Amino acid sequence: MDITIRVQAEPFDMAFGYEASIAGRTDIGGVVSFTGLVRDFNETPDVTGLTLEHYPGMTEATLQRIAEQAGQRWALNAVTIIHRVGHMRPGDAIVRVLVASAHRREAFEACDFIMDWLKTQAPFWKKEHGRHGDYWVKERRSDIEDAARW
Amino acid sequence: MQLTHLNSRGEARMVDVADKQETRREAVASGRIVMQPETLAQLSEGSLPKGDVLATARIAGIQAAKRTHELIPLCHSLALSKVAIEFDVDPAESCVHVTASCRLNGRTGVEMEALTAVSVACLTLYDMCKAVDKTMRIDAVQLDSKRGGQRGEYQREPTPEVAAPIVTGQGAAGEVSLGGRCQSPCVLVKFLAELREQLGENERVVTFDELQSRDIAGLKAALAAQDERFQLLRDQRTLCAINQVMANDEALITNDDEVAFFPPVTGG
Repeated sequence: MDITIRVQAEPFDMAFGYEASIAGRTDIGGVVSFTGLVRDFNETPDVTGLTLEHYPGMTEATLQRIAEQAGQRWALNAVTIIHRVGHMRPGDAIVRVLVASAHRREAFEACDFIMDWLKTQAPFWKKEHGRHGDYWVKERRSDIEDAARW
Repeated sequence: MQLTHLNSRGEARMVDVADKQETRREAVASGRIVMQPETLAQLSEGSLPKGDVLATARIAGIQAAKRTHELIPLCHSLALSKVAIEFDVDPAESCVHVTASCRLNGRTGVEMEALTAVSVACLTLYDMCKAVDKTMRIDAVQLDSKRGGQRGEYQREPTPEVAAPIVTGQGAAGEVSLGGRCQSPCVLVKFLAELREQLGENERVVTFDELQSRDIAGLKAALAAQDERFQLLRDQRTLCAINQVMANDEALITNDDEVAFFPPVTGG
């Protein structure tokens, strides 16, 4: 299984990872992708931007481990995870996960699993900027419950 | 570079411009007034007690540009051909950006006129809003560009955006910093994200002499003994990693380890 992990401050291309996932292969039946975007409402109704901090080294290693875990649970051909850090504005893409597999069910489930674990394990922290100041985003119980499903 | 407003004895003088060539002169200056978000909202809605704030400030800025020579001692009186004032209400930074551009065909530059227009427009904004907000601050009044005249063009270099604080560590991605931290056995302790802000500290070195037990619990105790603030580390939600691998209170630490404490993660 091919694993590609990127953590970067620059915006990423939506096409990133797709061609690489399927190039030269004819045994892939489907590619599922998820893109996470910055909302203009979250803990307050007027989010003007956010700054994402991470722990270099541990971040990449954690994403790699999550991708490997997905590969052990489902039959996958390729996993691509790209995550932005630094300052972002509403509408910007934060994260993109692509999973290529012979069968769609496995690709869907693995993608869901990767996002659940990424949100609860990868060392990223969001600080949201609103009209009334900045604040650190709190963890969500629903995210922890989602991750516990797997 | 000589100051043209001083003569050879260092006394103030007005520069004689009679023999200078008439050229088209332009200058753009900017500044801003920072205020409470509530004040800015009232200003945008036009609900402040003194009425239309921006229209008044615009007229004030134009008037001031025309009267610059009355305010600044060695300025010439100029027949300006154009004065324009622009306002940009910026909720993100909770301020009003003011830009003034002045123009004339003449023998002296118009940057003082543009700067005066910005300053007085900002002062007028202050006056119009001061009933509801005493905290307002005028800042970043500056010349952005000028054209024409002997010294030619000037264009201010854009100030680079301050890089977002991404991490505490200086290490490159994928590296754990190891080795050579101190003479006697020690660990490097990092504090990340909100925890760093709460503690007001990036990282510190803890020597093994300070540890009662060589594990995370011992490290927390040693830090708490150093400073009351580190009681925060005992919060159940505070997470810990040794050499970038998640660890609990019982996990052992060895010489030169990198230990990081951080709040629950919120990526994705």
